Amino acid sequence: MKKTSALFPRIALLVMSGALVSWMAAAIDAPIITGISAEPGRVTLGFAPYPATVEYQIERADALGQPYRPDTTGFLDGFGWTGLASAPGDGFFRVNARVLTPDALLATTLLQRIAYGPSPDDLARVRAIGPDAYIAEQLAPETITEDIDSAVITPSWRKMTVTGTGSSSSLYIYLDGPGEVYLDDIRLVAGTVDDGTKANLLRDGDFETALGSNWILSPNVAGSALTPDEAHGGSLSLHVVSTGAGSSQSTAVYQAVAPALNAATNYTLSYWHLTSPTVTAKLTVRLSGSGITSTHGLGGAVDSPAPIFAKLKDGSATMTDLRAWHLLHAIQSRKQLTEVLRQFWENHFVTEYSKTRDYFDNAGLSSDAAGRVATQLESKENLRWRAAMSDPKATFHDMLKISAESPAMIIYLDTINSKGSGTSIANENFARELCELFCFGVDNGYDQADIVQISRVWTGWSIRLVDATQESNPFAFVTTNYLDPNAITNKTAVTNLVGAWSFNYKAANHNTAQKKIFFNHDAKGAVTTPKLVPARFGPPWAGRDYSLTIPAGTGNPTLQEGHTLLGHMADQPFTQEFLSVKLCRLFVHDGFAIGYDFTDAETTPEEELVHACMLAWENPSNGGPKGQLREVLRTIFSSALFRSDAASLQKVKTPLEFVASAMRALRARRDDGSYTVTTDGREIQPVMDRLGRMRLFDRMEPDGYPEDASAWISAGTLAERIRFVQAALMPAGMTGKSDVGASTQTDPVGLLRIKAPEAMRDSGKIADYFLDLLFPAEGQANLAAFRKIAVAFLDTADDGTTTSAFSALAPGTSAYDLRLRGMVALLMSTQRFQEQ
Amino acid sequence: MDVITRRSFLSHASALGLGTALSTLTDIPLVLQRALAEGNIGITGADGRTKKLIFIFLRGANDGLNAVVPFGDPAYGPPNRQDILIQKDPAQPFDARGKALFPVSGQTTPTFDYTAGLPLGNGFAALHPALKFLAPVYNAGDLALIHRVGYPKQSRSHFDSQNYWETGSPNSNLVKDGVLYRAMIESGLAHSSPLTGVSIGSSLPLILRGSKAAMTNLSDPTRYNLLAVPNTSQGNLKADAALGAANKAQFTGKRDRDLLELQYGNLASTLDIFAQLDFSEAGNTFVDDEATDGDMPYSLFPTTNAKNGGFARANNAQKYVVPNSAYGFFQNLKAASLVLNKTSALVAGTSIDGWDTHSNQGAATGSHANLLRRVGWAVYALRKYFTKYADKCRWDDLVIVTLSEFGRTTIENSDNGTDHAEANVMFVAGGGVKGLETDALGTVKRSGVFNCGGSSDPIAWQTGQTGSMFQSTGRYLKRNTDYRSVLGKLIRDHLGATQTQLDRIIPGYTDPKESLKARGVQTRDGTEVIGEPDIV
Repeated sequence: MKKTSALFPRIALLVMSGALVSWMAAAIDAPIITGISAEPGRVTLGFAPYPATVEYQIERADALGQPYRPDTTGFLDGFGWTGLASAPGDGFFRVNARVLTPDALLATTLLQRIAYGPSPDDLARVRAIGPDAYIAEQLAPETITEDIDSAVITPSWRKMTVTGTGSSSSLYIYLDGPGEVYLDDIRLVAGTVDDGTKANLLRDGDFETALGSNWILSPNVAGSALTPDEAHGGSLSLHVVSTGAGSSQSTAVYQAVAPALNAATNYTLSYWHLTSPTVTAKLTVRLSGSGITSTHGLGGAVDSPAPIFAKLKDGSATMTDLRAWHLLHAIQSRKQLTEVLRQFWENHFVTEYSKTRDYFDNAGLSSDAAGRVATQLESKENLRWRAAMSDPKATFHDMLKISAESPAMIIYLDTINSKGSGTSIANENFARELCELFCFGVDNGYDQADIVQISRVWTGWSIRLVDATQESNPFAFVTTNYLDPNAITNKTAVTNLVGAWSFNYKAANHNTAQKKIFFNHDAKGAVTTPKLVPARFGPPWAGRDYSLTIPAGTGNPTLQEGHTLLGHMADQPFTQEFLSVKLCRLFVHDGFAIGYDFTDAETTPEEELVHACMLAWENPSNGGPKGQLREVLRTIFSSALFRSDAASLQKVKTPLEFVASAMRALRARRDDGSYTVTTDGREIQPVMDRLGRMRLFDRMEPDGYPEDASAWISAGTLAERIRFVQAALMPAGMTGKSDVGASTQTDPVGLLRIKAPEAMRDSGKIADYFLDLLFPAEGQANLAAFRKIAVAFLDTADDGTTTSAFSALAPGTSAYDLRLRGMVALLMSTQRFQEQ
Repeated sequence: MDVITRRSFLSHASALGLGTALSTLTDIPLVLQRALAEGNIGITGADGRTKKLIFIFLRGANDGLNAVVPFGDPAYGPPNRQDILIQKDPAQPFDARGKALFPVSGQTTPTFDYTAGLPLGNGFAALHPALKFLAPVYNAGDLALIHRVGYPKQSRSHFDSQNYWETGSPNSNLVKDGVLYRAMIESGLAHSSPLTGVSIGSSLPLILRGSKAAMTNLSDPTRYNLLAVPNTSQGNLKADAALGAANKAQFTGKRDRDLLELQYGNLASTLDIFAQLDFSEAGNTFVDDEATDGDMPYSLFPTTNAKNGGFARANNAQKYVVPNSAYGFFQNLKAASLVLNKTSALVAGTSIDGWDTHSNQGAATGSHANLLRRVGWAVYALRKYFTKYADKCRWDDLVIVTLSEFGRTTIENSDNGTDHAEANVMFVAGGGVKGLETDALGTVKRSGVFNCGGSSDPIAWQTGQTGSMFQSTGRYLKRNTDYRSVLGKLIRDHLGATQTQLDRIIPGYTDPKESLKARGVQTRDGTEVIGEPDIV
């Protein structure tokens, strides 16, 4: 299918002739007219929606051979048009669709596939630099500067403003746990806006004169005081020091406001606080009765992956930490493609955290320690994949080796204790999945006899706790570093040893016989001829002998058998095919299969793309090794399939993609460096569990989490998806917010302030802004129904019937905030937001 | 639409020659589908009852030889199986005939203190001791244990093989919809009734998936309602109405848009139905009508320690009837039971994961035993629940069937585990199931064990090192029954499909090369099979 950038490239013809009406489509891929009715002086058309259409236009020619001209006599309503037939008699109509330019469409596909969904900032950026520049950048993550794992957040002053009613005249300031915060220039004024000129209803709000009797310190904040260490305005600020959780007057810094506030009156509270990179407690400033409430983290540790990364490095991280780090990276990292691919490898070479943890639990570690060791093993393989991918010539073989040597895999697929020596029967688990799931694909070039042979190769692959400096020595001995070297009874107990759990080769368990792999067998099971690559692969592969004979051997050198086999399998056409298909499913759509006949003259675009990927794998353009990932990815990203409607919105988000994309969609950077969305990455983990049991790093089945929609979409999981976005859009404290936890905060009003301040009092413009942000690939003209619903939502009171113009609500009020939150949550609850 | 109307419509339709012209029901206007459907699937009988089915998928491949144990085969023993061997109790000869042994532990002794195999009274087979709660169901004649079940050219890939079981179409990856989905389509109700097939679990299983109508999956029944901003009753109504309007908006076609539309529609149409059911923990008040092991009557659905066997009496985990890791499964099973018992749903199911016992499988106790305990208690509890608490579904209306993708190697591996193999066991239970029959003197007239009775089996169990346990590639139990024959028998003779419908539900069912109905040879690999077992 050809794509053109012309504004009105596609037409459909409608031929009207007197009372007889017939019509036809001029081109298969044009908007098709589905209905027509004509009566004197009036004609009505209906047409099918056309992908990515920005604008529909009706044109009319009076007779064949006459030019088509826009018919301006009528009006469009969704996918219908009513016009005045200016003259009775013959006429020809056609519908034009002005579609997104190829670059605009590709920009949206990129953000949906090689990133975890569009964010306001990334959407603007990719539109500005162009999609090909974004592809080039993302394919070379080593060129992207990123410091989210190392950033020490410099404390900075941040202003908070909130409007509400005077529910009481007692103002409280407290933290929800031990911690400290600097506050300054707190103001409370009448009305919904503080222009800085109104009288401050609080006494000594500038914290420049002694606290005296204006600010009272309850016991758990008794250590609070004015300090010259930090100040926003003037030379002093209030240093709040909390020894425990506050919740009300008896646990707060407070002031009795005089004269008393009026419960029916709006007031606006504002204050400055210093952000903190370390304090995780949340600050609340509120009136008793919560007519005005402001609760938030201190902007530092809450959504930064840096402290978690430090724990991953020193081995103290828990699985919750690792998942939080993974989620925060998916949401925040500039190396979006690397994050998508890291999840792909983690999922392709799937391992199960709980099985690893149980192994160490049974080995004598405490359950906490077992969890940390198991987490570290998951973390290490992920960090190795990430590091490997920053090599421009990284190959699939590199990824495969990292997995095979990972203690997490050795435990997961049971090679750890597998013996092939003597009469022992080797465990087949890893051998089978190496063929079926990691390299060749099911029943693709191997059979049961091969699995038995391969299982014998994988005897001796085990793990051991070795000295940290010996981590990459597979023959290292058990560490002799003791926590307590003087311990008499438990000197060698696993709990008294310090080191690294590492891949370790135990030659004594190895099957020393010759292995003949990928051979044919006769009826009695005897080896006959080598297996040859089937004819369907065509050149250059068909007919190749891909058998492998591993001679008998003993001792440590037999470790090489496994590496020989990995190297042998990594670039076979079966592996090329299976991995190409999986990558195409990830990036293009789910309708790719293994088993194409590449010699068949009749092909499909899908088959051609897989074939192109395999050729890029086999014959890299840079002459480097086979199997270079960037060569294959570049092939996909430059394909017509990927760049067309064939990919756009043709997949459904997995739970990870759904959660991350929802957070990203509303996350824009404020001038002060903070963001309009925060989450600590921990509290939304249970959400992914509820969306279909997607437990990162902990899948029981070795096939990894599925990509296809049918595995994720059911009434039950859709209910949870809707609950998630609604809870994420709730303001702090609303019933139901606990679904996503208090750390997960969204601020669509703040987003508008940054990105579309001119739209804030206009429900139509607001709808347009969010429709473009959330559904950028759909085409504005195809979103007309959503726009109506969104505008009606904004312009209707909570009762669902009373007209209540949104333009009459003041930004900064809770009514404005809630109405906008509800509308955004609605758009994100629709079928369309499930797609990518 | 009630049965009278439908029957009258049918006779009218066939008079017009319409009845035989229907190749597929999905091409017919929705309102007519129920009326035109043949057969009795979903038909409410004169007694107001409807036949229903619960499936439990044992994902990961159950070691059938460690569930219904062939004690009569001397090859069952060392060195083939030693670390994972189930012991014979000399005091309970496995070759005796009669009822199954149901060992009763004392009020204060551990529930599973009897650790030898439980002879099934057919002279050959025994149950794993962790399945002891199957014994009373078996002895009531309500349980069929069908051994040596598989299919031609058995795949040993979990994922392919699970798919084949669920699509009812072995060795084909082209069939994309599920066998029970097709049964629900044939009922003619799948479009007009919001609930036909229901699963409880993290995702809708393939066995209920299809593109023409939505089956329902509940991931967490206790949370099956929506939230909105602001979370007030009026605000939620406003949000629901807006979402409903948005769901009706027209869009261009994309790959997954039909699926999304169907499942959003299913969500909208089932929210109110499920809101009527009490899925809460507090609502889990279902208790046995008799005492177990001389102890008190136990909770039927163990979802907390306090509801797990006799734990509550002395805080003693030895008195659990299931491991405490089973609570999630029993919550799902309880929900599936409530759905069948309280709504018009016809099929409900869930799964137990974790059967892929490549290492440290255990013997009388251990990881496999812990999985079997779930199955044993589940079948026991469902019988009691659908007897004592029956509403829209009685025990006599119900069949429980287990599925599992393949069996495991006859010989244990070096990790005290077993690897992927071929034939396996299916458990089928229900008030109408043809199981054990004894006469007044206790003489067995008919066994509930199929294909594990030694030489008395229609296709005899060959014993020894060259026998049935090694007949396939020298390491695998060979099948003599096709799983489609079991499912087909249940779908036709229990749920009420006609043979014509069954031919659509399980393609090729009457193909002579498949021998699914009656004894014959499956020509794809020349294996003789018994056809349909006589289980309902």
